[in-house]
Amino acid sequence: MLGKLFGIEFHEISMGAEKLFYLGPIPITNTILTTWVVMVLLVTLAFVVRKRISLIPGALQSIVEMVIETVYNLVKNIAGERVGNIIFPLIMTLFLFILTANWLGLLPGFGTITYHHVPIFRPPNSDLNTTLAMALITVFLVQVAGIAYRGLKGYLKEFVTPPILAPLMAPIHLVSELSHILSLSARLFGNIFGGDVVLTVIFVMLPPLIPAVFLLLESLFGLIQAIIFAVLSTIYFSMSTAAHEAEH
Amino acid sequence: MDPKVAANLGAAFAMGIGSIGPGLGIGMGVRAAMEAIGRNPEAADRLFTPMIVGLGLAEAVAIYCLVTALALIFVGGG
Repeated sequence: MLGKLFGIEFHEISMGAEKLFYLGPIPITNTILTTWVVMVLLVTLAFVVRKRISLIPGALQSIVEMVIETVYNLVKNIAGERVGNIIFPLIMTLFLFILTANWLGLLPGFGTITYHHVPIFRPPNSDLNTTLAMALITVFLVQVAGIAYRGLKGYLKEFVTPPILAPLMAPIHLVSELSHILSLSARLFGNIFGGDVVLTVIFVMLPPLIPAVFLLLESLFGLIQAIIFAVLSTIYFSMSTAAHEAEH
Repeated sequence: MDPKVAANLGAAFAMGIGSIGPGLGIGMGVRAAMEAIGRNPEAADRLFTPMIVGLGLAEAVAIYCLVTALALIFVGGG
């Protein structure tokens, strides 16, 4: 544990999320609590924007429209209009959730407000369970999209592509599909958790001004990681549906 | 060797050696982007997003090493 550094003590960094309380048999960790905060924020924003929607957009509506349009164009450019329109809601949800969670995690109070020596808030993506859940959803839906677009036969044919090498290639294709789960989840988790550790250490070592530089960097990384997660998911979707498009 | 010392040494080597490749990769990526912008400055806006995504992918390798190193420090060695 990193409990003490240069004679200064700070809250212990733990790799897993800390349990706050139990809801029946289910432990509620601080990352779940923060995830709920993010959900409330996003749902509230959605309702506020929806209620005041108008032909002549106000400031809030303009910002929301701009963000949605940017991501929509990105998805459309990679996956094409037909596939893009279907997967866009998922990609946009992932993007907004990751971005909000990452930026919320930089606010003061995260890791410092404690309840029985356990921080109440913790960036959701600094818990491997959160990122793994999102990666599993994405990769599962990529397989579903592959079957839906190419048919079960076409989907399975992908796994034995050079048919002469089928016994050798099938495990390789399977592992490469499964490795998407690992790469999507570990990348996001490592970035956010690593950033959290770096920020904590820098706050302890060089208190007054230097941490501001790292906060700026972390806010940039939070955005970049959200973009990368969205773009990679879109690429996986377009890869699994591409063969069908090419046939016609 | 004491398991704690071994875990810390492993973490140091994982991060130190693991950063070489991604460092080189990111350097090459940015060099190529800068050369492209130098040849055609108007393409800067269009190059930015692919470059950032590529850098993120290259950086991910270092992040895997970071996760391994952090796991060794916080969980490994008992």
